[in-house]
Amino acid sequence: MVEEENIRVVRCGGSELNFRRAVFSADSKYIFCVSGDFVKVYSTVTEECVHILHGHRNLVTGIQLNPNNHLQLYSCSLDGTIKLWDYIDGILIKTFIVGCKLHALFTVAQAEDSVFAIVNKEKPDIFQLVSVKLPKSSSQEVEAKELSFVLDYINQSPKCIAFGNEGVYVAAVREFYLSVYFFKKKTTSRFTLSSSRNKKHAKNNFTCVACHPTEDCIASGHMDGKIRLWRNFYDDKKYTYTCLHWHHDMVMDLAFSVTGTSLLSGGRESVLVEWRDATEKNKEFLPRLGATIEHISVSPAGDLFCTSHSDNKIIIIHRNLEASAVIQGLVKDRSIFTGLMIDPRTKALVLNGKPGHLQFYSLQSDKQLYNLDIIQQEYINDYGLIQIELTKAAFGCFGNWLATVEQRQEKETELELQMKLWMYNKKTQGFILNTKINMPHEDCITALCFCNAEKSEQPTLVTASKDGYFKVWILTDDSDIYKKAVGWTCDFVGSYHKYQATNCCFSEDGSLLAVSFEEIVTIWDSVTWELKCTFCQRAGKIRHLCFGRLTCSKYLLGATENGILCCWNLLSCALEWNAKLNVRVMEPDPNSENIAAISQSSVGSDLFVFKPSEPRPLYIQKGISREEVQWGVFVPRDVPESFTSEAYQWLNRSQFYFLTKSQSLLTFSTKSPEEKLTPTSKQLLAEESLPTTPFYFILGKHRQHQDEKLNETLENELVQLPLTENIPAVSELLHTPAHVLPSAAFLCSMFVNSLLLSKETKSAKEIPEDVDMEEEKESEDSDEENDFIEKVQDTNNTGLGEDIIHQLSKSEEKELRKFRKIDYSWIAAL
Amino acid sequence: MAAGGGGSGDPLAPAGVPCAFSPHSQAYFALASTDGHLRVWETANNRLHQEYVPSAHLSGTCTCLAWAPARLQAKESPQRKKRKSEAVGTSNQTDLLALGTAVGSILLYSTVKGELHSKLVSGGHDNRVNCIQWHQDSGCLYSCSDDKHIVEWNVQACKVKCKWKGDNSSVSSLCISPDGKMLLSAGRTIKLWVLETKEVYRHFTGHATPVSSLMFTTIRPPNESQPFDGITGLYFLSGAVHDRLLNVWQVRSENKEKSAVMSFTVTDEPVYIDLTLSENKEEPVKLAVVCRDGQVHLFEHILNGYCKKPLTSNCTIQIATPGKGKKSTPKPIPILAAGFCSDKMSLLLVYGSWFQPTIERVALNSREPHMCLVRDISNCWAPKVETAITKVRTPVMNSEAKVLVPGIPGHHAAIKPAPPQTEQVESKRKSGGNEVSIEERLGAMEIDARKKGKDDLQTNSFPVLLTQGLESNDFEMLNKVLQTRNVNLIKKTVVRMPLHTVIPLLQELTKRLQGHPNSAVLMVQWLKCVLTVHASYLSTLPDLVPQLGTLYQLMESRVKTFQKLSHLHGKLILLITQVTASEKTKGATSPGQKAKLVYEEESSEEESDDEIADKDSEDNWDEDEEESESEKDEDIDEEEDEDAEGKDEENGEDRDIASEKELNGDSDLDPENESEEE
Repeated sequence: MVEEENIRVVRCGGSELNFRRAVFSADSKYIFCVSGDFVKVYSTVTEECVHILHGHRNLVTGIQLNPNNHLQLYSCSLDGTIKLWDYIDGILIKTFIVGCKLHALFTVAQAEDSVFAIVNKEKPDIFQLVSVKLPKSSSQEVEAKELSFVLDYINQSPKCIAFGNEGVYVAAVREFYLSVYFFKKKTTSRFTLSSSRNKKHAKNNFTCVACHPTEDCIASGHMDGKIRLWRNFYDDKKYTYTCLHWHHDMVMDLAFSVTGTSLLSGGRESVLVEWRDATEKNKEFLPRLGATIEHISVSPAGDLFCTSHSDNKIIIIHRNLEASAVIQGLVKDRSIFTGLMIDPRTKALVLNGKPGHLQFYSLQSDKQLYNLDIIQQEYINDYGLIQIELTKAAFGCFGNWLATVEQRQEKETELELQMKLWMYNKKTQGFILNTKINMPHEDCITALCFCNAEKSEQPTLVTASKDGYFKVWILTDDSDIYKKAVGWTCDFVGSYHKYQATNCCFSEDGSLLAVSFEEIVTIWDSVTWELKCTFCQRAGKIRHLCFGRLTCSKYLLGATENGILCCWNLLSCALEWNAKLNVRVMEPDPNSENIAAISQSSVGSDLFVFKPSEPRPLYIQKGISREEVQWGVFVPRDVPESFTSEAYQWLNRSQFYFLTKSQSLLTFSTKSPEEKLTPTSKQLLAEESLPTTPFYFILGKHRQHQDEKLNETLENELVQLPLTENIPAVSELLHTPAHVLPSAAFLCSMFVNSLLLSKETKSAKEIPEDVDMEEEKESEDSDEENDFIEKVQDTNNTGLGEDIIHQLSKSEEKELRKFRKIDYSWIAAL
Repeated sequence: MAAGGGGSGDPLAPAGVPCAFSPHSQAYFALASTDGHLRVWETANNRLHQEYVPSAHLSGTCTCLAWAPARLQAKESPQRKKRKSEAVGTSNQTDLLALGTAVGSILLYSTVKGELHSKLVSGGHDNRVNCIQWHQDSGCLYSCSDDKHIVEWNVQACKVKCKWKGDNSSVSSLCISPDGKMLLSAGRTIKLWVLETKEVYRHFTGHATPVSSLMFTTIRPPNESQPFDGITGLYFLSGAVHDRLLNVWQVRSENKEKSAVMSFTVTDEPVYIDLTLSENKEEPVKLAVVCRDGQVHLFEHILNGYCKKPLTSNCTIQIATPGKGKKSTPKPIPILAAGFCSDKMSLLLVYGSWFQPTIERVALNSREPHMCLVRDISNCWAPKVETAITKVRTPVMNSEAKVLVPGIPGHHAAIKPAPPQTEQVESKRKSGGNEVSIEERLGAMEIDARKKGKDDLQTNSFPVLLTQGLESNDFEMLNKVLQTRNVNLIKKTVVRMPLHTVIPLLQELTKRLQGHPNSAVLMVQWLKCVLTVHASYLSTLPDLVPQLGTLYQLMESRVKTFQKLSHLHGKLILLITQVTASEKTKGATSPGQKAKLVYEEESSEEESDDEIADKDSEDNWDEDEEESESEKDEDIDEEEDEDAEGKDEENGEDRDIASEKELNGDSDLDPENESEEE
């Protein structure tokens, strides 16, 4: 069933969502955000991803709604193209090839046929704002090389550019000055902050800028937390500014509401501040948003805001400052200490999440399930604070126990360490703290492992530390006359010549414990805690250690820092084989004997899958990632696959996921891309057809009352109040995809004519008719905007661009003739 | 996915509320509650995903619902050379949910967009919709109603494709055959229709009440030798209102067999049924039936022909609250729905109330005939809006958790009774010699007690109180003694206390030292006195190391940072006090203490040894100490500077004295233990 293509690396799990400002659709139903090479379309109500627009070949750097047609979206990318999308159906309409790297995109409603983009042409760090003229052409790929220069030497970030007051001017900030370019006068005014001249380390650099939508007012955010509102900047000398100061740290982004009555600002404090009427005393706050606010955007309808946060989430906020939805990717704010784990209970991927939390990420649905608050302390988001870090975590006994280690180190000697052991309570379906151990070791804990043998009667946990000891913790009965309780106590402390303990792991049956002390591996009996034997290869410190499984359980594998992978035989206590491999990640598959090792070289990372008993690897894939791979994990499959080919058998029962340094989660897929790309015809596309709403009935009744005065005979026709879907003409016109309709100008006249020809129309009904006509015109306007798309489609079909109308109207004319014949008596009912 | 029917006043309406798991990975659970709200829950984290109220939710409540087959969405793009990765999205996204209402309309709700997608009204039913089934391949929808008709809808166009009379009474249930060419419908009788021609292919009779659920259980015929025409030989299952039997039927090639092949018996009317399809002959069908009484019955059976006796369940699952205290009895929690996970080894259980159900994944253990899960759902009533947005779960941290800090037993491995040699010695001693009878012993003790009583009256009452307190473990009595601040009193008490109470006292002191640091300061005074006065006695104990191990660890951890200084300080203090003590004891008479039991060994050599040890214990000790001290003199010389500094500090800072003392006390132990360990 499964077609065996090459194994390919595929990205999985919430790529970055917070790279640029998110953009709302005109009706606030959808929100768009850039995500790597894609643009994602989310529903603002359900937080679900509706479409992924793919087509760019490099990082997407900016998106904007088409100001002339709000059903279309422009996107620009580092690959040097601007693409126009129909986001409702997820279709690429057009590609404009600009040719140079585009770093940001702006659209202005007044500049009809051009968009603005940030490019860098000569030197790598000099950026320019240019206007790109988008030629009207019928082909799908258009060259748009006509760039006209607007501003030079600007900041790369799109937050530092804002178009104001219906595109009359553009404001750009960089370092200590604000420049305003007036399009009509073609002049640039430059305002420099006075304090910046004398002080070298002045903290009032500009960080972002926003323009009032209707007034001549520019708001700028600064490094020191101040917001300045600039007015009267037409004059180089008479300009004024007022200061708003609440933020204690850098203002990350600013946005005016649609009407301009309030200004939104946010920063590292994770508080969204709404300044009403641009005065300092009228402030509203939405605190505790969880992470630094990176971007703020406002929906064109004005009912929603959204904030993008550094922990890879977008919060959708109502106008009354109430968070209504969260679009959360894999949390990526900070470095991953815990590695990747699988919760045996929920089968979710577990790793560091929000500060002090463990995040549970469902790989099946590609969604974050929840964050588990381990540290349970208020997180103060401020620069330079040394926070408590969640450094280690492990699941034990089929998910019944969770051990977490948190650490805070202010100075070399002042280490704070705490280990918490959580028990899963089935009654309440949640974790409960069972034992809290302060300073379980004198120094950092390097490894943590549970004994997960099935027959073990007593849960056992081993911690290895840099202080040279490893401790064995066991669960004991702490019951007394007051309560029944269990708790963890230390059972054994082991050391080996005061070397630092670097790794520990239990054998599959739990009978042996291997602890590595720098270069030496020691094997301990887990019943008596006697040192059984030691292995030493003098090949550098042991970085990874694991036992073989199932039939290979007699082998112990160790990877050293000097790039040697050793395999010892536990029966003969001798080195079985070794290989020169700079192993970064070594993970055993829980369902088979296979072990995956990822090695790091200067070119990239390579994957090796092998069995300890066989000298030849089962599978090698070179260059799985250009970055360093930091963690990996095997995830058991719910339903085993059935690959017959030997190279893929290792993927049958488990799937391998790995995390790179830039925290993108990748996995291996064997399905061919074509297989996953199902043609749209296969998709279940149900037509949207909604019957009349109660409002329609109210409105209809109201009109009917009006009509009654004029003509009482038509009273009973309300019963036959037509449903829009029943009128073929309207539904055909409105529901036919835009790209197959003929020119709107052509269509409009025909359509209107057909309406006017209706026989039963009476002059008395003209007033309501007009109302409808306006509505129709509106819808036609949107069609008109689609005009050039149709042309594109047509030329593709015929190759002739001239006689478009005649060419295509053969089929269309038939339809339109139908329109004429259709009975428009329903208009009489209005 | 089966959906139970809607509950209303009709006595023949099926029990339960319409609900269904989303197909494939069962990521969502949709539930249309009686208040007219449609709620979609995420099964993985039990979170309310969305809530929808149809505009006519009061007049036309939802009677049945069905998820559309997964929408395959193209989300993956071909790999590019530049960026070595691509996105893998959720390849099959479930979207549309069809809701049938009591007034005959069918709503299509988009769960991705969170809005009504379309409404199927025109030409459809004019009475309550009883069941909806999506066709798995074509975009068709089948619905049946109380108006006796079955309607085939074209979902793309939202139009009726075909409408035909399905039964003489209301049609209550539908099911499409695995190959998609046949349709089962049920009112009072079950009919199998050919979808192409809309003709009845087979009749099945057997249920007395309206059939509430229909399901195909196999996708391959049991007899694989015959050519398979897509339907013949397949089994299907039916459950009816008020019927505690689920019937299994087989589609036979000949039209003679009309009655059920076999049946499953359950405890109450089935509300929700889920099963795993068996794909081959050997694989048993797993069936989970949720009954009206809130239990789940699991069946596992290989379907192979006729069976007369109704089968009982292999396993029954119940859920109950934990009864708090003695009076409140555990209450059962009704299970609302159960669905098999894709691995067929675990079951998703939905239980609790309709408004706030809990969804849990339970691993199946077929060996247990009865599973009773105890679940506390009282906290589920708390508003969950906050967590729904932030997605943060806070695990419980209460005071019942055990806290281990350095020094507390359990933080470090307990020091185990050292080498087995001592045990052998003990055992030798025990075995050797004739035993004293209990009478003799009692007699000896009585005499002792009388004599002691006389002595005690004359002495200070503190040693007595202490002894009694330690023996009875009386907290108040001990407090009275141990909380004194008078150093002299402490010294006197320690000197006068009987030897056998030394170890209990030390243990009591250890326990108290683990407490608050303020009280520990007092305890350190005591500890210091005990160790200086009774050092000789302690050194004779064979099992001293394990007995005082915790104390040693405690001290070790508390003075970790000042180790060197305190070692030196301790040694000096010990030296000085020993010297002064030895001078004093020459003058003062120690209270005569008589052993409770004197045991005479047979061999004279040992006896003499013991006697000597008893008599000269103090002198011996001093000599020993002096010897050891002289050895360490060199160290002292070296560290004199440090010592001087330490003393300066002591003079300068009064407040630090307490802590200094604590250190002194601690350090007293170090040389002791060192010597003992040797």
